[in-house]
Parts: sequence; C-alpha cells; structure tokens
Amino acid sequence: MRLSQKARLLAGVLVPMLALTACSGGSGSATGGGGDEQVKVTVWSWDGTVERAVPGFQAANPNIKVEVVNAGSSQDEYKALDNAIQAGSGVPDLVMFEYFAVPYFAVPGKLADLGEFGVDKLKQDYVPAAWSDVTVNGKVYALPSDYGPSAMFYNVTTLKKAGIEEPPATWDEYYEAAKKIRALGDDYYIAQDTGDIFFLLSLIWQAGGRPFKVDGNKVHIDFTDAGTAKAVAFWQKMLDEGLINTKITGWSDDWNRALNDGTLATQTMGGWLTSTLPERAPKAAGDFRVALMPQWQQGDKVGAANGGSSFGIPAAAEHKQAAFKFLEYFTHGGGLSSRVDAGAFVPNVSVLENKAFQTKTNTYFGDQKVGAVLAEASEIVGSGWQYSPFFEWARSIYGDLASPFYTTGKGSLAEILEQWRQRCIQYGNEQGFQVD
Amino acid sequence: MFIVPIVYAAYLSFFQDKLVGGNTFVGLANYGKLFQDTQFWDGVGRVVRFTLVQVPLMLILSMALALALDSLRLHGAKFLRVTIFLPYAVPAIVSTLMWGFLLGIKYGLFGSLNEALGTDFNPFAPDTTLISIGVVVTWAFTGFNMLIFYAALKAVPRELYEAAAIDGANELQIVRAIKLPALRGSLVVTVIFSIIGTFQMFNEPQILPSMVANSGVTTFYTPNLYAYNLAFTGSQQGYAATLALVMAAITVAVAYAVQIRGLRNASDH
Repeated sequence: MRLSQKARLLAGVLVPMLALTACSGGSGSATGGGGDEQVKVTVWSWDGTVERAVPGFQAANPNIKVEVVNAGSSQDEYKALDNAIQAGSGVPDLVMFEYFAVPYFAVPGKLADLGEFGVDKLKQDYVPAAWSDVTVNGKVYALPSDYGPSAMFYNVTTLKKAGIEEPPATWDEYYEAAKKIRALGDDYYIAQDTGDIFFLLSLIWQAGGRPFKVDGNKVHIDFTDAGTAKAVAFWQKMLDEGLINTKITGWSDDWNRALNDGTLATQTMGGWLTSTLPERAPKAAGDFRVALMPQWQQGDKVGAANGGSSFGIPAAAEHKQAAFKFLEYFTHGGGLSSRVDAGAFVPNVSVLENKAFQTKTNTYFGDQKVGAVLAEASEIVGSGWQYSPFFEWARSIYGDLASPFYTTGKGSLAEILEQWRQRCIQYGNEQGFQVD
Repeated sequence: MFIVPIVYAAYLSFFQDKLVGGNTFVGLANYGKLFQDTQFWDGVGRVVRFTLVQVPLMLILSMALALALDSLRLHGAKFLRVTIFLPYAVPAIVSTLMWGFLLGIKYGLFGSLNEALGTDFNPFAPDTTLISIGVVVTWAFTGFNMLIFYAALKAVPRELYEAAAIDGANELQIVRAIKLPALRGSLVVTVIFSIIGTFQMFNEPQILPSMVANSGVTTFYTPNLYAYNLAFTGSQQGYAATLALVMAAITVAVAYAVQIRGLRNASDH
C-alpha cells in the first residue's frame, strides 16, 4: 500500500524533472571583494518546478546561491532530514513537506516559525484551507507550494453508455449512477477502492468530519463525529452493494488498463490527476472531464483536499533569512509564473483567479477549461482540517487493518477506523504525545 | 571490524527515540516489548512455515536436476545448466514484477486460465500469496543450488564409478551409494544459505502490494519488512535494531543447529 500511496502523492509534482545538478555553483563563500558575503541556500525538493525559479532569483540576488537537491521523495526525505537534524550537520535551509508531514516536524520544534519573516501578509493570497494546512497551533511553519483539491474525473463515454447525461452532482446521484454503470456488465464500476485512506479522508473532510484535533502535544482522535459517520456509512453502503471495484488497486497496471478501456467510470482524487491521467490513459483522450466532488446536499459547494505540499525552514538551518527570500520568490514573487508554466498547480488566489489560467482549454479533457474547475475546487475546500503529527506512520499501517475487510467483506469501515484509532493512540503515547 | 555494526545495533536497542522528548535510555524494555509483539511473531511464524515447505521442495528439485545433468544422458546439458541458473541473475525486484504480471488475475496468465476454465483462482489472495512467493523464490534459486550440487558431483573421483561398474552396480545403486553421500556436505551448505535467505525475505513482499490489491501482505509480513517499516516510517530505530538483533540470533541458532546436525550425520558415515 505504501508505495502506491506515495506514488499518488508524488504524481502531482512529477512534472518535468530537471537535471538537479544544474546550479551547484562554487561552494566556497566569496568573502572580501567589498560586497556582501555570499551565502549558499540548500533546498531539498522533489518538485521539479522549483528549479525553474532559481536563475531568476540568483540574477536578482547575486549574493545568494541556491542549490536545489533531490534528497528523496516523501518519507525518504523526511527520514534524511530527521537524520541531519539529529547529527547536527548537513541540515538544509529549505525543505519540501507534504501537508500531513508539517505537524510531524513542527510539533517537536524542528521547524522555524515563519512569523518572524512576516508571513501573515501572504495569507490573503492563499486559499484558506491551504493556509490552515501549514498552520500548527496558531503558527505558520511552511508556505504552500502545490495543491490537490479533490475533484471528480469522469468518463463521459462510459456515463453515456449507462444512460447518464450529467455527471453526478450529489452523492445520492453518485449512488444511482453507480448502479447504472454496474448494470453495464462485469467489469464496469463507477470507481475502485482497495483501502485508499486518502480518498476516505477526503470524503470525511467534505462531509464536515474532523477526526484529528491537535493542540500542542495533545492529539484527539475521533471517528464518530456526525460528518465522519455520514461519510463512512455512505462508502460502506457503496462497498456492501458491490458498486465499487475492490480488485483493482490505484496506480497498478490493472488500473491503467481499466482507465484506458473506460471500465472505471470516475476517479475522485486530487487535482494533480489532471497531469497523470493523460499519461496513464492515453487511449481515453477526449473521454474524461473534471467536475467538483459530488456534494452531500443539493446546492452545497464544499470540497476537500487530497495531497499537496509546502516548503518550510528547519529550525537548525544556517541561512534562514536567505532561504525565506527564495521561498517567497518561488511561491509569490517572480519565480511563481515559471513554475505554473511548468505544470505546478498552486493554491495561490492570484494564479487561480487569473483569466488566462481559467480560460485555458485542455485537449485531453475534450477542450474543457480544467483550470476554472480546479480553481473553484480549491476555493471551496472545507477549513479546519488537521492531520495527526504521526500521520505518516498511521497511514502506513492503515492497509494492514483495512485489507482483511476488503478481501473478505467481514467487518466494516467503522470497525477498521476504530482499530486504527486504537493503534494511533498506542503509538502516539509511546512517542511522547498525549493521545486519546 | 565485522562486529562494529552489530555492537552499534546492540547499543541502539537500549534506546527509545521519541518524537516528543527525544532519545531516552530504556534498558531492556525494547526486548520485553518485542517478545510480546504479536506482529513480530506472526512474521517469524510465516518465514518458518515458508522455510519448512519451500526449502525442502526447492533443494529436492535442485538435487534432481544436478543428478540429471551429471548422468551425462541429457542432450544440451550446457544449455540447460545456463537456463536453469539464469533466474538467479535476475534481481528479486524484477522477478517479482515479472511474476506479478504473469500471475495477475485480470490480464495475466491466471486471468486467461480462469477465463478458459471458468474458475476464480487468485494467486495473490491473502491465503495464496505466500505460495506464489514460494514459486518465485524457487524459480530464482533452484539453479543456484543446483550448481552447488553439480560441483560436488563433479568432484567425485571417476575411479569410484569405474570400481562400481566393475562390481556390477546399476545407475540407481551408484546414485544411492556414491552420489548422494557425496552431496551431504553441500546439502548442509545449501540448507543454511536457504534458511538465511528465507529469514531475510524482503523484496517480494515489499514490491507485491503496489502491484496487487489486498494480497494480504502487511507491514509486518516478514521480520525484515517489519524492521524496515519500524525504522523508516515509525521512526522506532531502537526497536527496529532490537528486532534485527533478535532475528539475527534466531537465524544463527537455526543455522548452527542445522550445521551441527548435518556434520554429525556426515561423520556417522
């Protein structure tokens, strides 16, 4: 499970990976010569678009050299950072984090509070939910760099075949559509799920559930609030009635084939699927469209997020000031547009509301104006969502607990979540948090 | 020098590194926890069961192939030797991917088989995954073991066969009286290698879950996989070091027992 989920989170940022050694200029600092002392900012990033911002930044700031290093993706990088912090040497100045990893580093004090750099003035340029993703206990520890608003990708041809003219706008309609699609035959399903925790959480998120509450070292986990219960019961019904394919796992070869031949009618995932789908399902070009997630109430407009990442400055970093300068440059300043052009999907209001971004058509999606849909999906993401500080570990064991249910049908999602909660409580307390 | 990493692991095993509160000395607490950890013993049980079934089957197959090659009655023996050995040269990650596609129920070989026969057999269901891994491992290592046996057979002095022929022994008697006893030493070696290999199983269960849905492979499927996940996603390095040490001790104990027993039997003859 681990690999596939990781792959999924990466998908959003696997835009052209540039040679990462491009700008490893001289390492010696040029003292003397009259000017300011030269500093070198080391950036750890697996987002290839960050590199694009370097030349412009260095031209504007001749005394700062930026070196972008790929220190691994996701947990490989987190591990490397933990080791560097522990060893007290080789700590980078700027590091990429998925949103769920921010509390993991922020809570034990391993990240610098960005308040001292006056980040509050940048708040208004972010969709509110992205800002809350980087805020831990009231302090901002990172700046959002890419975003994964949940959206529904649907195959028009398959829907038409099943007699569905409009994509389902509510989960009730989704349920009815699922039955019609299922009626097409053995291999036709509205979607697949083999225990995808990020999907289930996005459903819970949208329904208003907030299962993780973090306050300092105190973590409260509860999968019984009204929103969570509603989302879980709905998905349980979909699974119980055999409307979901539980044999195909996302990002597998089987998944590619099913997307190509149209037997999986929809995918409710992060907006980053926009760049992944054409690679995975080239034969389905022109068949897919994007819509907002189906709603819980007719007429509502609430969304959720699924993936996305940010950059923070380690507390032990050497050149915090210079690092922040570069961070601001590629998330707001002159460096932002080069990243957007290279395919980065950012949660900046200024980009999302830009005319060119909103009106650009995408041939793969039948010339749909995909940007406009995803911009709206970003702006309606429900606020106040939090991840537990040890979410990285928690998601890794979720598959162990969910797998028996998905293979035998015994048990229920609610039971799995309760077991998950118990394991999280045990682990969290062992790790020094106060979890209940 | 070889002992340094082990000593360091032993040192680590006395500590617990907490996300909040940092590194603390915990004495033998990690060991106490490990002995009560049902996930650890679940993994140990799995590799032991695997060893008990897969290793004998594979070694019998290897031995039969070595005897067949040595009988000089096969055409194209050289070609056969290379083909059987070839899978050993394929990295485990690649072979797992290959077999994953081959055995896949949707588009792979088993998909077609199930369709033709109207059956619903899934080689990567929770109950069958371990058998499928057994097939992959057997495929990969049969040739390697065969070569060890074959080398031992080649070392048998030709005079012994001539003497046997003069005594009027048939092929079966030659195998029983000369060849099998000659293989005893290499059998001990191959058994030990196989046990160590199995106890360290990692690549196959690490790769499979990303290919197949719900194959039943957990984060603690084998002790090695468990140690990896403890260290790299749970940041429980101390506990992972404890697990590694205990597992190494178990492996050494089993391998040593096999060696003692194998050598004693050998000297009986």
